[in-house]
Amino acid sequence: MVRKTIIYFLSMLFLFSCQTRKGKESGAEFEVPDSIITAEALTISDEALEEIVQNVSSPVEMAALIKELGVPFSTKYLATTDYVDKYNTSFKMAYSLGVFGADLGYLNIYDKSTQVVNYLAAINKLADGIKVGQFFDFETLQRLTTSRESIDSLMFISVNSFNNMDSYLRENARGHLSALMIAGTWVEGLYLVTQVANEKNNPQLSERIGEQKVNLNNIMLILDNYKEHVQVAEVIESLNVLKEEFDKVEITYELGEPESVEEGGMIMIIQNEKSIVNISDVQLNKIISKTKQIRNKLISL
Amino acid sequence: MKRIILIIFTTLITFPVFSQFGPGFIEQCATNSGKDATYLKDFQVVLNAAQTEQLTPIARYPLVLSKNNIYRFSLCTPEDSPGKAILQLYDSNKLIFSSYNKDTGEEYNPFNFLCQKTGIYHVFIYFLEGKQGYTVGILSYVSK
Repeated sequence: MVRKTIIYFLSMLFLFSCQTRKGKESGAEFEVPDSIITAEALTISDEALEEIVQNVSSPVEMAALIKELGVPFSTKYLATTDYVDKYNTSFKMAYSLGVFGADLGYLNIYDKSTQVVNYLAAINKLADGIKVGQFFDFETLQRLTTSRESIDSLMFISVNSFNNMDSYLRENARGHLSALMIAGTWVEGLYLVTQVANEKNNPQLSERIGEQKVNLNNIMLILDNYKEHVQVAEVIESLNVLKEEFDKVEITYELGEPESVEEGGMIMIIQNEKSIVNISDVQLNKIISKTKQIRNKLISL
Repeated sequence: MKRIILIIFTTLITFPVFSQFGPGFIEQCATNSGKDATYLKDFQVVLNAAQTEQLTPIARYPLVLSKNNIYRFSLCTPEDSPGKAILQLYDSNKLIFSSYNKDTGEEYNPFNFLCQKTGIYHVFIYFLEGKQGYTVGILSYVSK
């Protein structure tokens, strides 16, 4: 009985060790040797990292603000999907995955189903390229888009697909790709709002741009964890240029107690503690131009 | 041997709890926030019963909220969840709002929040009287 048990355990141990190795090997086919990265020493814990990742606001909120300001939809703000086949390294694929994810949010908010399909196809291709295609439910998303079903379902599946890809990458020692994906999403969202601000002078847009100082600091913390990767270090270097400008933006706070009112049968909590963003026109213009340079550089082939 | 039986038994007991959150259920919750709201993210919570009165298990989630945006917080709890779910929104360690008023017994699900300060907030979700339960918190963006 004891003998049988030992044989069984040894067989299971062998079986699982083979599976683990197989997983690592599949990572090794990328340009960045992921198998080596397994030993990377993260400067912050996984839990803290997860928390920081959650602390990056959604690009959908940027797109929603732009739409609410009455800015018409334009494809000129979007990254083209024409060259998706040429993104042939895991770095370019992961970064572009984030970029197209942000663009997808913009398209969804404006309900542009024709263009959405192209972006879904591009994201699907890139996700397959970095071996996370199993988390991207392309068929369902395509069906929801073409049938013009609930935007919430579309958003839910898109957001969850990205979250699952992100978690899987981090859990499988490919956190640097997840970091690049998050950076790509954020830079594209910033590019979108800065391009609109360049054409439309609006205090809400300026304030939203200035507030990105908070998100940039979080992005830098995430990237910093993987700075030993050359490509991540390059993104850090580019974003440091932008950080220099954001560091000049001042955010002050005004204290106040929240109050509640009833609106249409629902309770609304009004926060009276306020953040005030002090951003000059010069600072804003520098952020706009540097964002454009960095975004175009990072998506170039 | 007893230990193995216990593990198998626990797995069998907990499995139906986790299976409550099939993709269909959460997606349905995401679409039920209202026509004026767009889904942003969800918080899936499965908590065991409190061991003692003092130690109510709480799920905590960080999130960034932006100034001038209206957010909707809602709870979507399966009917067979033993505990009543409560969602609290915190700014640092300061409670902004609770979906349940323990003095009056009134429930506010969903509730809207007009954010005036961009920053990191925390959502706390737990079950009344420390009971076991499962729920999904939904954060949506409300169009003005």
